[in-house]
Amino acid sequence: MTDRSDFISREKFMAELARYKKGSVSRRHFMGVTGLGLATGVLGSALPGLRGAAWAQSGIGDRVILASWPNYHDPANFEAFAAATGAAVDMSVFGSNEEMLAKLQAGGTGWDVFVPTNYTISTYVDLDLIEPLDLSRIPNYDLASFDPRFAEPGTVNGVVYAVSRNWGTTGYAVNTAHTAGRQMASWKDFWDVTMAEFSGRTMVHDYQLTTIGAALKSFGYSFNSIDPKELADAEKLLIEAKPHLFAITSDYQPSMRSGDAWMTICWTGDALQLHRDIPEIVYVLGTEGGELWSDFLAIPKGAPHLDAAYALINYLLDPAVNMKEVLFHGYPVADKRVDALLPPEILNDPIMYPAAELLTPLEFGAAVTLTDPGRAEVMARFKSA
Amino acid sequence: MRPQVRTALFLFPAGAWFFAMLVLPLVVIFVFSFGERGPAGGYVPALTFDNFLNLGSRWAAFRNTLVLAPVGTLTCLLIAYPLAYFLAIRANAKWRTLLLILVIVPFWTSILIRSYAWIYLLGGQGLPSLLNALGLGNPRLINTPFAVLVGIVYGYLPLMVFPIYVSLERLDKRLLEASGDLGAPPINTFLTVTLPLSMPGVATGCMLVFILLMGEFLIPSMLGGGKVFFVGNALVDLFLQSRNWAFGSAVAVALVLVMLITVTAYMRFTRRWAGGRDDISLM
Amino acid sequence: MRLYVVAVYLFLYVPIGIIVLFSFNAGKAATQLQGFSLQWYGKALSNTFVMEAFQTSLTVAMTSALLATVFGTMAALALQSVKGRVRVVFDALIYIAVMVPGIVIGIATLIALVTLFDWVNPLLTAIWPLADAAPQLALGYGSLIAAHGLFSMALVIIIVRARIAGMDRSLIEASSDLGATPFGTFRQVTLPQIFPGILAAFLLAFTFSFDDFVIAFFVAGSQTTLPIYVFSSIRRGVTPEVNAIGSMVLAVSLVLLITAQSILRRRAPKS
Repeated sequence: MTDRSDFISREKFMAELARYKKGSVSRRHFMGVTGLGLATGVLGSALPGLRGAAWAQSGIGDRVILASWPNYHDPANFEAFAAATGAAVDMSVFGSNEEMLAKLQAGGTGWDVFVPTNYTISTYVDLDLIEPLDLSRIPNYDLASFDPRFAEPGTVNGVVYAVSRNWGTTGYAVNTAHTAGRQMASWKDFWDVTMAEFSGRTMVHDYQLTTIGAALKSFGYSFNSIDPKELADAEKLLIEAKPHLFAITSDYQPSMRSGDAWMTICWTGDALQLHRDIPEIVYVLGTEGGELWSDFLAIPKGAPHLDAAYALINYLLDPAVNMKEVLFHGYPVADKRVDALLPPEILNDPIMYPAAELLTPLEFGAAVTLTDPGRAEVMARFKSA
Repeated sequence: MRPQVRTALFLFPAGAWFFAMLVLPLVVIFVFSFGERGPAGGYVPALTFDNFLNLGSRWAAFRNTLVLAPVGTLTCLLIAYPLAYFLAIRANAKWRTLLLILVIVPFWTSILIRSYAWIYLLGGQGLPSLLNALGLGNPRLINTPFAVLVGIVYGYLPLMVFPIYVSLERLDKRLLEASGDLGAPPINTFLTVTLPLSMPGVATGCMLVFILLMGEFLIPSMLGGGKVFFVGNALVDLFLQSRNWAFGSAVAVALVLVMLITVTAYMRFTRRWAGGRDDISLM
Repeated sequence: MRLYVVAVYLFLYVPIGIIVLFSFNAGKAATQLQGFSLQWYGKALSNTFVMEAFQTSLTVAMTSALLATVFGTMAALALQSVKGRVRVVFDALIYIAVMVPGIVIGIATLIALVTLFDWVNPLLTAIWPLADAAPQLALGYGSLIAAHGLFSMALVIIIVRARIAGMDRSLIEASSDLGATPFGTFRQVTLPQIFPGILAAFLLAFTFSFDDFVIAFFVAGSQTTLPIYVFSSIRRGVTPEVNAIGSMVLAVSLVLLITAQSILRRRAPKS
């Protein structure tokens, strides 16, 4: 494999990352000093060796069942996987971690690979729903290349249960063609405009973490709050806003594209995809804060096609493949090797890599939000209202 | 073989099946409704009435269902009856079968796909843009109770037409002739002869549609955009998102009770009207 | 009135027309026509998962309908000679089976079975000689057939009972007066008379199971039926492949219905 001395030490990397996030250094400096902006030469020549390897094995069966999120995967990559291994990818899509958990709790899902978000993994471990990963079967996973902030949640009590796939932020997307020049910058703006000019044109997620979080942020509370009083305020706001909403759904792209909706709570990659095709749609990270998250690839307990599961995970972590995924879905990945392969326009894209001052107030989701009955009830009551 | 043994033997498979797949699951739901939500969701055995006391939080879902189900049934009836009348009484015998098949066939396309077509038709690029072009304003039709109503009527129309048709078809046409011959104007004939005699079919159709509507969750979910919540949606949410199995069971029990009451009352009421058939005669 | 009827048929068929129209879309969007092409039909037919879902639906529908028809008919016949409490219980069960919404049955079955499996599976693992290879109960074909069969059976009983009630009793009496065995009477007198009802009930049970989404959604476990496949396709982002599937199912049903109708016409002038 490649010589480790080419890369900076992990401590220095974290120090530089902290400086970058605080705003002490520019993005360009950060990229340069950590090696993320390194010429592709060294890494590019190392990759063909990796590519010949593990994921192109045959005899893993004829299928792999994947549970993932909307607009998350390039179908072309799955076709290539199927062509190389003979295993076709059967993907089902979910709108929230709660849905995935509910299915896993009920059992018998038949999933081989699923994509949990950082804060859910400890709960999956507690409930014994997730399989510890045998990293020797995922040679494409090089721990040192991954930003530990985004890779760490996959390890619980020293055991690796999930490998980092990508990270992102939660903000909102707004179609500026209809804002009449009004500057949208905060979550308060989001809710104010929803109930006024954009009445009937706004969407929120069918997902308690982001929707309740968005309401909480507009009051300045924590995105992850489970405090009953703060939740009560959030619930009041949500129920007030409900008649002005266009829809409550985590699959918001079609309505944004068709022009039925003008604004929606949004994730990084969707914002990028929308902005690419409709430049008037811009991504706003609320000044009060929002969510910083990372998604993982994991294997549920009792996966029927274990070989295929490992093969798929290994394939998706191959930097060459991962890079193509990034170009498709627009979410940043925590893998330095992939960043080295990406064109500079992508690395400089403000949606994918927001400015430091916008990243600082963001919070990672907290495990407790997944299990807290109070939050689940607020969301359910909001939807029932 | 003695007849009683044979009878028992014949009844056994059906009885066992009903017991295992109907009685037991309903008992489980009933028991669970007194339980509590587990720490990460699910069910924890307990004996508490809290879930039932909490039913009020889903009042809007019950209200939506109890309003849109009868309205949908009635709308379906009003649209279906003239069609059934035409097919049974006015249509050419040669065309009748074909027309009847054409009514039933849409029922065979997945309700999911048919509802999806309505998402397009009622969405910004469908009817509203047409209305806009005609200068009639740009109403928002999708994700409203109206959209859900359209979806309901569209989905259940064939189900309503069929029993009414069967009932009208059995009508002795000579009665209609006789009524006319005796000097009654057509509208009187209809009101005093046709309508009463078709009541069994009307009652059957309405009940079928109403029962199905009370449990509906797909159409509100697709055409209501998550904003129009039926009891069915509340149930799906409680089991597949909030994961509160105990409370979800209570909602399910409440729904079954509501239906038992409304359907039994409905059947008593229509029995006086329709001259009581106490089983659902579909053929 | 004719105008009204035309309007209703238009209402019924315009959405279907749109579905069929977009199934021929050369572009990828399900809502923007970009040329004509048969590619989506090809894609749907060569898609392993679609074909498997179709096969699963077919198998489940066939099995549940057959079982429901056989057991239901047996029950309907037996109920003729049953009075009192047993009769009341059965009537109540049938009533409940039809009246309880599908979603409640689906959910109740799901949690009942999951609870059962959680209890039985560890036992199986414990008592099985080879601990690793213990059979484990799970949701799947079995639960699908069992859940669908329940509702279908109730339907069958209702329909066949109505048919029996409308039978000409004198023929049965005549047959036994003439010395035929009960089975002989059944085979040669009763059965032919109620057969159209049995057939109709079977078709109805088959249709119900094949098209069912609500119950299958909850109890299918790792199996996929065609409606479940369509649902998850719609969530994935609708491509005209879904339209192609819908159009094909529609065409097949149309053919089936017309065929069934012409066969029934020939068998019995008045069904």
